[in-house]
Amino acid sequence: MILSTSETILSIKDLHASVDDQEILHGVNLSVKEGEIHAIMGRNGSGKSTLSKVIAGHPSYTVLSGSIQFKGQDILDLAPEERARIGIFLGFQYPVEIPGVSNLEFLRVATNSRRKELLQSELDTFEFEDLVKERMKIVEMDPAFLERSVNEGFSGGEKKRNEILQMALLEPFISILDETDSGLDIDALRIVASGINKLSQPSSATILITHYQRLLDEITPDFVHIMADGKIIKTGNKELAIDLEKSGYDFIDKNKKDKEMVN
Amino acid sequence: MKSSTIYREWLDSLPPTQGCLKKEQSLGRELLLEQGIPSNKDEAWRLCNFNRLNSFLSLPIIIKSEDVKYKLPDKDKNSERIIINPNKNQFLNINLSNGIEKLNDREIEENLGKIVKSTNVKNDLSVCLNQASSSELLALKVKRNFNKSLEIVIPSIKEKSISTRIFLLVEEGAKLDLLQVFLGNNHSAQNHLIEIKLESKVELSHGLISLGEEKESSSICTLAVEQSENSKYSLHSIHHGWDYARFEPRIIQSEGEASTIIKNLQVTKSKEQIATHSLIRFEGPNGKLDQLQKAVASEYSHCIFNGSIEVPQKAQKTEAAQLSRNLLLSKRARIDAKPELEIVADDVRCTHGATVSQLQDEELFYLRSRGIDNEHANSLLLKGYYDEVISHLPKSSKKWNFVKKLMKDIK
Amino acid sequence: MTQTNTVEEIVAQPYKYGFTTEIETEKIPKGLNEDVIRLISAKKNEPDFLLKFRLRAYKQWLKMKEPDWSGLTYSKVDYQDLVYYAAPKQDIKKKSLDEVDPKLLETFEKLGIPLSEQKRLSNVAVDAVFDSVSIATTYKEKLAEHGVIFCSISEAIIERPDLIEKYMGTVVPINDNFFAALNSAVFSDGSFVYIPKGVECPMELSSYFRINSGDTGQFERTLIIAEESASVSYLEGCTAPMFDTNTLHAAVVELVTLDDATIKYSTVQNWYAGNEKGIGGIYNFVTKRGECRGKRSKISWSQVETGSAVTWKYPSCVLQGDNSIGEFYSIALTNNFQKADTGTKMIHIGKNTKSKIVSKGISAGKSKNSYRGLVSIGPNAEGSRNYSQCDSMLIGDKASANTYPYIQSKQPQSNIEHEASTCRISEDQLFYLQSRGIDFEESVSMLISGFCSDVFNELPMEFASEADKLLALKLEGSVG
Repeated sequence: MILSTSETILSIKDLHASVDDQEILHGVNLSVKEGEIHAIMGRNGSGKSTLSKVIAGHPSYTVLSGSIQFKGQDILDLAPEERARIGIFLGFQYPVEIPGVSNLEFLRVATNSRRKELLQSELDTFEFEDLVKERMKIVEMDPAFLERSVNEGFSGGEKKRNEILQMALLEPFISILDETDSGLDIDALRIVASGINKLSQPSSATILITHYQRLLDEITPDFVHIMADGKIIKTGNKELAIDLEKSGYDFIDKNKKDKEMVN
Repeated sequence: MKSSTIYREWLDSLPPTQGCLKKEQSLGRELLLEQGIPSNKDEAWRLCNFNRLNSFLSLPIIIKSEDVKYKLPDKDKNSERIIINPNKNQFLNINLSNGIEKLNDREIEENLGKIVKSTNVKNDLSVCLNQASSSELLALKVKRNFNKSLEIVIPSIKEKSISTRIFLLVEEGAKLDLLQVFLGNNHSAQNHLIEIKLESKVELSHGLISLGEEKESSSICTLAVEQSENSKYSLHSIHHGWDYARFEPRIIQSEGEASTIIKNLQVTKSKEQIATHSLIRFEGPNGKLDQLQKAVASEYSHCIFNGSIEVPQKAQKTEAAQLSRNLLLSKRARIDAKPELEIVADDVRCTHGATVSQLQDEELFYLRSRGIDNEHANSLLLKGYYDEVISHLPKSSKKWNFVKKLMKDIK
Repeated sequence: MTQTNTVEEIVAQPYKYGFTTEIETEKIPKGLNEDVIRLISAKKNEPDFLLKFRLRAYKQWLKMKEPDWSGLTYSKVDYQDLVYYAAPKQDIKKKSLDEVDPKLLETFEKLGIPLSEQKRLSNVAVDAVFDSVSIATTYKEKLAEHGVIFCSISEAIIERPDLIEKYMGTVVPINDNFFAALNSAVFSDGSFVYIPKGVECPMELSSYFRINSGDTGQFERTLIIAEESASVSYLEGCTAPMFDTNTLHAAVVELVTLDDATIKYSTVQNWYAGNEKGIGGIYNFVTKRGECRGKRSKISWSQVETGSAVTWKYPSCVLQGDNSIGEFYSIALTNNFQKADTGTKMIHIGKNTKSKIVSKGISAGKSKNSYRGLVSIGPNAEGSRNYSQCDSMLIGDKASANTYPYIQSKQPQSNIEHEASTCRISEDQLFYLQSRGIDFEESVSMLISGFCSDVFNELPMEFASEADKLLALKLEGSVG
């Protein structure tokens, strides 16, 4: 589905970022076009989650240099909610529980804020209930979850489904799914993966951040990037992920050593 | 007799100020004269049984040295035991093992009274009584190379009142197991003031066994601890058998970045009254507190807990949890619990909880349905209840046989 | 800009009810003595027993000391510099609304409480109190058809002295505390509700209190009686104009429930809180107490406290009847230099009595917000239970949140459970909402509402929207 004429959705150039005065990202470059599925793999602490938080605009992270452009627009000065409204979606690795705030109300306010940006009419309670119930089918979620507080008391799998439901409602141009597969059993993984597949559009793109091959068995990536020490050190196609699964991350260390020797 | 008269007579009975604590004595006496005896209008003394306090003050302060006989269990091989028999001038020529030594005059001058003063308690009767009457000071420095555990035993003297003053300086990086034992006697009174300063990176595990005797024994104890950064202090204490006891642990994390664990158990029977008034203050960021207060009140007795936690603005990222769990075993007994949380720092996690109940019927029923008789089931559950505190006391504490006494006293 | 700064800005909102009504007012001279009390009583044509009640209270008050136990400092009130009776110039009470000064009707309409027949709320009867007098009560006739009495306490004193004599001062004795004694001596007006045996009040009852004069103390007195198997839901709202001086408000509320009766009493307190420098504002020293005298009776207090410079208020339940139930649901929001010391007392006397306490305190600015409560289980309260939950939220690092939950038990066959926590608006929760496109301000407001939801769920419908509006009002504004 990737055409040479496809528009670039996300373009990250030489991105350096820190948290708590510690630099985590040391020059990330990444370009994502419409219709593409990218996978970013790497060990714990390699900077994958940091990258996703920086794209979404988490206030704890500071961009030191470099740029992030979304559809040609520089987004570093935008608040997190503004980024969400223009179509950037982050699926959290650990979605927070928000006691007391109704899930239904939360989903409705979020959906309407996106619709407003797209110049679509805002949905009233009844219209929204119809929409949300329809979208819940994509992730096989029980409508009973609408009555509960946001993520409160949800199991790991239920939280992840709630994330994909939000993606289904917000219809983003780019979805960055941070370890959406972690903590899921086989069935839940399949449901979540099929949800993601159903939602992919020629005009949108997806970045999957993952540790393991198993999610990539369900969703085939066009590109696989390997991150280490806050940089993308290798890019390839889906074969790279399979190699990685076989030989583990050791080759990164080898790579590093080789480099050091060259130096 | 009126409380104020007894109070005045107690003051008058004190010997002239003298010795190494001369300055402290005059300070304490001045304050006592100035503020007078508290009444039940003072919040900190509102629930105090003043008749008991009067009995406490009616016993004469021991002045002349006497030989006191007491039978104590053997000490552990690996422990340094100090028995405090007041007024024997025993600390002048005390022999200490390697790694522990007496503080010199300058160090005493620099430190004594500072910690307790910084706790800043209004109308501080417990402390003033001690300052006014203590005549000897045990002031020790525990060094890093001290490799034994320390035991400090304070027996009471029949029909007498004793006051003891202790200062411990635990040097940077030292690890210490400390066991303190207070033993009551028939018609006796004790008053202790203990100050402990933990330098940075100190780990102090402090066990306190406070056991009264059947007939009118009473005890007032103030324990003031200052923790420097990266220090760990844990206090496990049990109070039982006193006709009247008041325990005031006050812990200041002077730089934050420290951890404090307090697990305190008080068990009362007949007409006893035991009160714990704790104060924990965080004066720097990242402090941690885990506080568990347990009380069991049976027969006609009264257990009191007042637990204050202060988290001022500079104590960001403090994590403090306080839990007060109380068992009320009789219709004539009474439990009062009053947590007090004062929080200004906004980025903190503070929780507290309190429960008052009796032993759980379902648990009892479960045991009984397995063939255990009611009485036995009760004591099994009680033992389980005590265990949360007792199991953390140093091993050597077993010799003091208090569990047996507890099981015998409370059924 | 840091996140807390902007959260603080959101919470700092101008007071919207700060206007004064220009109206000719009849005031008696400042100061308090026996003659003033006789004058107030005479103005109201009170029966002799009530004058005696007032004078007894006054004598008690003279002997009492102003309390300072709660550790809250405030500039002392000069009791001789206050006006104890102020009323808009018109006959004590008009028969019909048409005769009420339109300025007054306008005032209440501006406050969101339309009284005229065309505009008034369809399911809520309103008693509107302006300074010292009740100016109108709606739906009186309709309520009377059901035997329900809803009127100002001054009217009740004239019309039903029997009920007043029987109940007034029996829940809050005249010497209960300094401010209750003062109120008993000089109280001006307030509401009276009587629900006869077996009647479920057909509509919500509501009183709206408005302080207009700057130097007038407001001493309202409310008495609600629910006879056997009767039930009622009562709402109370309060506002005041902005003055640089502190105005004293010392109310007494007494509730009585007999066997199987229920009273639900809800308050939205939004007195003027003073400015951002802590100047001006109402001193709100209120004694509220209910007695569950009957078996299986129930008293439920809910309150949303956002106003006043200083608040001391502990709506309490005395659970005398076996199996009776007491509840307390509270939201207290303080900002700037506000000081709120509020909570409840649940006194368990009868067997199998139950109580539940849910308190949510939100402190911002340099304010001080304290929960102070007592749960006491007496020796005869076998099978009684209490559950309390007190949560505090801090906004910024200069506000303080204090919790003093006092529990006392003398009955082993009973159970007390208390839980408390302190938190702030979590950065992660805020980011999560924002990353779904919800703007900062709305995210904060959602999180605060979520924090309070346990209490909101307990409020009557009409009240819940009013309360939500009030919190939203306090929260709406510009994000810097």
